[in-house]
Amino acid sequence: MDFHKLASDGGAPAPRRPTARTTKLEFLARIRGEMAKTRGLFPASPTERPAQPRQRLDLLRRELSERWPQTLARFRSEFERVAGVFHRVPSAADVPAELERICRERAARRLIAWPAEDLGVAIAPALGDAGIAVESMPRAVPPDPERRRLRALIAEADLGVTGADLAVAETGTLVLVSAAGRPRTTSLVPPCHVAVFDRTALVESLEQVGLVLEAWHDGPAPAERGAVINFITGPSRTADIELTLTRGVHGPKEVHAIFVDGGLGLHG
Amino acid sequence: MSEPIVGTPLRERATQALGDRFLHEALDIATTKFIALRREAFGDFPEGEALRDRARAIKEATLQRLDAHLETLVANIERLGGHVHFATTAEEARQIILDIARRTGARIAVKSKSMATEEIHLNDALEAIGVTPVETDLGEYIIQLAHERPSHIIAPAIHKTKGQVAELFSRELNRPGLAADPEVLTKIAREELREKFLQADLGITGVNFAVAETGTVVLVTNEGNGRMVTSLPRVHVAVMGVEKVIPSMTDLAVFLAILAKSATGQKLSVYTTLVQGPRRPGELEGPEEFHLVLLDNGRIAQIAGALRESLYCLRCGACLNVCPVYRQIGGHAYGYTYPGPIGILLTAMLNGPGSVKDLAHASSLCGACADACPVRIDIPKMLIELRRQVDEQHIAPWPERVVFKTFARLLAHPALYRLGARLGRTLQRPFVRDGRIRSLPYFFGQWTRTRDLPPVAARTFQERWRGLS
Repeated sequence: MDFHKLASDGGAPAPRRPTARTTKLEFLARIRGEMAKTRGLFPASPTERPAQPRQRLDLLRRELSERWPQTLARFRSEFERVAGVFHRVPSAADVPAELERICRERAARRLIAWPAEDLGVAIAPALGDAGIAVESMPRAVPPDPERRRLRALIAEADLGVTGADLAVAETGTLVLVSAAGRPRTTSLVPPCHVAVFDRTALVESLEQVGLVLEAWHDGPAPAERGAVINFITGPSRTADIELTLTRGVHGPKEVHAIFVDGGLGLHG
Repeated sequence: MSEPIVGTPLRERATQALGDRFLHEALDIATTKFIALRREAFGDFPEGEALRDRARAIKEATLQRLDAHLETLVANIERLGGHVHFATTAEEARQIILDIARRTGARIAVKSKSMATEEIHLNDALEAIGVTPVETDLGEYIIQLAHERPSHIIAPAIHKTKGQVAELFSRELNRPGLAADPEVLTKIAREELREKFLQADLGITGVNFAVAETGTVVLVTNEGNGRMVTSLPRVHVAVMGVEKVIPSMTDLAVFLAILAKSATGQKLSVYTTLVQGPRRPGELEGPEEFHLVLLDNGRIAQIAGALRESLYCLRCGACLNVCPVYRQIGGHAYGYTYPGPIGILLTAMLNGPGSVKDLAHASSLCGACADACPVRIDIPKMLIELRRQVDEQHIAPWPERVVFKTFARLLAHPALYRLGARLGRTLQRPFVRDGRIRSLPYFFGQWTRTRDLPPVAARTFQERWRGLS
C-alpha cells in the first residue's frame, strides 16, 4: 500500500459512461476499496452510545428535578447573554397577561400560536378579549384554499407563540420539535418569538441533549412527530456587513422565554 | 472536477490583495476579533480540550467504517421518505440537481450557505437551465449581487465596506440612496429575500453533519436562512461531502459543543436545524420532497491518501483567522473555492497537487492552524507532503528548484556551508542597507519586492562557536 501517494487528479476516476449515474453499489465499492488500505491503521470503534437511553433519560430527569432552580438560573443568564428576554410567571393562568404586555409594548396585533393542547395553556380567549387576534395552527393539514390563507397570515404575523421541548442551560438554547399543530414557521417568520416552558423542559448541558436525542430516537417515532428539530439560541443575527452585529436578518429580531413556575398543563 | 476560479498567478493575486488597504484593515480587524472570541469561548469551557480529542477520534473512526455509516444513513433517509443520490464528480452532482430542478419545474432556487455547492459551481449550471439561484446568507447574497466569490468560509463578504454594500443594493435592487448603515442594509436584505423564500420552489442547502443512525441532516446558521430554505419551498436538496457523516446523536452533541466556539466564539450558533426527511403527515409546512446528494469529488481517494486528515475538517474557518498568510492576502488571492491553510489541502484534494504548486508554499508552516483546528488536523505536515509531491513532479518553477537544491546541498555538507556563508557575505555587500537586504537583482528580486532578507552575519554562529573553544 502506498499510503502517502496522493491521488494524482482529484481521485481515482470511476469507470463512467456518459449518461449513466453512479449507483449506490459502485459508490460504496470504491469506498471499501480505499478503506481496505487503511485497515488497522486507525481505531474504528465509534464513541460509546448510552445503552437503554430511555431509562437513562428517566433517571436523569429525576436527578434534574431536584436541582432545577440552579438549572433555571443558569439558563436565564445564558439566554440573556445571547440577547433573549426572560420572563417568569407563577402559573399558567398568568401567561396570557404576560403575553398581552409583550404585545402592547410592540403594538403587536396579529398572533400565531401553537394550539392550547400543545402550549399547555389557552391564550386565545383572554388575548381576544384584549383585542389581540390569535390564530391557532391547525393539528390537521387543511385543504388548499385554507392552507394558502394560513401561509399569508403566517407571513404577516407580528408575533409567534410556541412551547419548548427543551431549555438548555449551558447555552441558553430552546429546542422545538416540529409536528402537526407545531409548524416550523411559528418560531421563525414573525419578527418576535415567545416560547412558553416549565421546569420539565430544563436540561443542563449539550451532553444531556445528546442523551435526550438518543432517547427520542430509540424505537419508532411517535406518529405525530414532525421531521424537524430546531435548536434556537437567541434572535437571528448576522455580522456580514463590516462585522457589525445586526439582529433579525431572516428569523425573529426578538426571542422571549416565559417560565411558568406552577407548570403547564402538558404533563398531568 | 472543479475549475480554477481565476487564471492569474498566485503572485499577482497576492500582490493585488496586499495593495488593497481596506481589505487589509478589514482582514486584520475580523481575524483578530475571531481569534479573541474563540479563545474566550474555549477559556470558559474547560472540557473543550477533551472534546476536541473526542471529536477527532470520532472522525478518525467514522472513516474506518465509512461504508457502513453511509449505508445506515442512506437506509434511514429512505425509510423517512427521502431520496439519496450518489455523485462521483462535480459534473455528476450538478446533473443530479439539474434533473430535480427540471422535473419539479423550479424557477427560483433559494440557497443556504454551502461550500459544497460552491465547490461544484452549481449556480452557473442552474442559471443555464433558466433557474434563478438566490443566495440567502447575507454575506453570500452581497457577493452574489456583486458577481464575486466568498473570501472567508464563515464571513464571505468580509472584503466589502458598508459603503460598497449600500451602493450595490441601491443599484442592483433599484433602491436609490440607501444609507451605509448595516442595520438599514440588513433590513432591505430581509425584505428582498423574504419574497424569494415565499416564491421559491426549490431549497438547496449544504450539510454540517449527517447523523447515520437517525437519518438526520444537520444545518447550522446564525441568520435563520437554513430554516427558511427547509421550511418554505416544496423541494429540499441537501448536498454533502461523504466525510460529513457521523454515527450517532451522542457524537453530534460533541461536535455542536466545539463547532460554533471555533468559528465565531459563540457557545452555539443561533440555529441548529435537524432535518429528518420530507414533511410528515399532519405537518403544515416543510418540503414534500427531500433529496440528499452524496458527493465524492476526490474525497474517497483520500481515505487512504496523504490528505486523509483534511477529511476531518468541519469548515469552521478557525485556521484562516490565525494564518499569517491568510491574514495578509485574504481569501480571493488563493484563487479557489476553499481559502486558507485547509483550503490549500482541499484544493489539492479536489483538483490534484498540480493545482497547488504555488499555493503549497503559501504557508510559513508556523503551525498556528493546527493549534486552532477543533479536530487538530495536522495541516503543516500535509503541506510539507504536498510540497514534496510538487517537487517530485517537477511542477515547481525552476528557480525555486535550483535554490532549494542548492540549499539542501549546503545543509548536508558543513564545509560547503561554511564556504557558502563566506561567499554570501562577500556577494551581499552591495545590497545590505541598514542591516537588511531590501532588494536583490534578477529573479531574486521577486522575493525581496515585498520582503526583507536578513543578511549573513558579520561572524556566523559557527565562527563564533569556534572562537569560544
